[in-house]
Amino acid sequence: MENIRKKLSLFTSIKKNRIAYYLLVPALICMILVHILPMSWGFIISFIDLDIYTITNWSNAPFIGISNYLEGLNVYSPTGGRFLRSLWNITYYGIVVISFGYLIGLGVALILNQNFVGRTIVRGLILLPYIIPDSVAYSVWRFMFQARIGIVNKYLLSWGFISEPKVWLVGDKSIYAVMVASIWKGWPFTCLILLAGLQTIPLELYDAAKIDGASTWQQFRFITLPFLMPITTVLLLLSVLWNFNAFNQFYVMLGTDPGIAADVPSTLILREAFNSFHYGIGAAMSVVLMGIMLIFTIFYIKKIRTGETVQ
Amino acid sequence: MNRKIERVIKRVFLYFAVIIILISVLTPFIWMLSGSFKTRLEIQASDSKIPGKGPSWIPRKFTLDNYRTVNKEVKILDYFKNSIIISLGTMFFSVIIALLAAYSVSRFSFLGRTTYSVAVLCTQMFPGILFLIPYFVMFIWIRRTIGLPMRNTYWGMIFTYTSFALPFSIWMLRGYFNTIPREIDEQAQIDGCTKVGALFRVIIPLAKPGIAAVGIYGFIMAWNEVLFASVLTGNETTTVAIGILRYITAQEARWGGMMAACLLVSLPVLIFFTFLQRQIVSGLVAGATKG
Repeated sequence: MENIRKKLSLFTSIKKNRIAYYLLVPALICMILVHILPMSWGFIISFIDLDIYTITNWSNAPFIGISNYLEGLNVYSPTGGRFLRSLWNITYYGIVVISFGYLIGLGVALILNQNFVGRTIVRGLILLPYIIPDSVAYSVWRFMFQARIGIVNKYLLSWGFISEPKVWLVGDKSIYAVMVASIWKGWPFTCLILLAGLQTIPLELYDAAKIDGASTWQQFRFITLPFLMPITTVLLLLSVLWNFNAFNQFYVMLGTDPGIAADVPSTLILREAFNSFHYGIGAAMSVVLMGIMLIFTIFYIKKIRTGETVQ
Repeated sequence: MNRKIERVIKRVFLYFAVIIILISVLTPFIWMLSGSFKTRLEIQASDSKIPGKGPSWIPRKFTLDNYRTVNKEVKILDYFKNSIIISLGTMFFSVIIALLAAYSVSRFSFLGRTTYSVAVLCTQMFPGILFLIPYFVMFIWIRRTIGLPMRNTYWGMIFTYTSFALPFSIWMLRGYFNTIPREIDEQAQIDGCTKVGALFRVIIPLAKPGIAAVGIYGFIMAWNEVLFASVLTGNETTTVAIGILRYITAQEARWGGMMAACLLVSLPVLIFFTFLQRQIVSGLVAGATKG
């Protein structure tokens, strides 16, 4: 009896909110077609031997179990070796870009939070790197990093850091060129979020601290930093997730094959699938990448949901 | 007296820091602008190694040729047309679909609401490369079974980008709707509006800034996207984000033309941003940090 009543109330609840579901239908269709279906499909593809011959009729491709994964994660095979290297590259790149981006963003946010003439204009201007298209920004940086005709080498030479024009975009050093460009493109967003965070700190706290004789550093350490902590966690998690996404900067600055030292999962998977036509191996690599990202996503969702209940 | 000197020094440091920040932000833009006015000869002949012949900020010989011939070898104007169609389409569809979904999530407490909201957040997190291969296979499959070409078509790209813009748009609009007091649409319902009617007569007029921000977000996203455009577009649908890379080929490096094109491609985004800076900024902040 209890059960039936529960079911009935469930039914009436669904019926009462019928319109809510109708309104969701278009969005749901889009999301199923674009996110859920392809994701499951990608999972299936990662277990079949899909190549240039079977691509036109994917259901005929032979099922090969976890061979794609074995190939993709095998240190000794050329593909697997490069994939593992690309995972290391993106981690290294991520650590550098996120930490520098955060420090610069925080520093600038603290500066821009002061009062000075033209503050509004400056705040608008620093967002320029963030809003211009990726391919524009990285094309300009590619030009700047050119060995002979680029402006970077000119200054490095005249300041005496290097004695010969360095070739930045080929070989071992290329990942550093991409890092510099990405930091330039990425910190304004961090700064924007942190500025918003800074503005939520009640000014009375600083006044009280000043009366108690707290130094500027102490004010920063015991008021500003704790207040920025929640937003920082969310921001860093988000940066980590987006960082694994990194493709545009590598593709625009270094081309489809950035070389072993600067290869990242996105560029490698793209080549594996669309240049070598090993769709199965590419899909398997994608699934591995997704597994890694899932961990961070769960953390992010947890953080953001707890933030909601606090508010 | 000492206090005063200290304050002056602090001020000087502050302005100095601001100038450094501005210089590092603007350097690439100035380089882009200067490069777009240089002759091809000047760019190719400059050499950072030889003092006096190094690349310069101010063009030695000022020219407008890069702009005049911007469409000559690379059909950037065609790419512009493609990008505008695809971006406007994305803007239109993502706003309409997101409006309905966000209203539903914001105003109804239905079964599965939390699950749905979390799913929306999740999909926003996964990198595009995960979807690319299955997407490609799906496009081919649709073509084969239904006969509807999806690759290298406007609707294929609009569909793709709309779906990518949706999670963030729904999330952003939901936040915006939540700030509109419920009493307002309840009042409208008492006055004889249906729930859906309240959306169109009350909520939408009130949420105009939020809707504008979401629309611009969709437009900019479609305008800037590189990964999917590099695989799913062909000659007839190449977008500007891919198009500007074509100035550099294995045979020829047309840096001047590329810089001119870069400037033109940035313009729509810059214009949008100047006019709607406040809405976009608040939308971005809320979208990334609020649950």
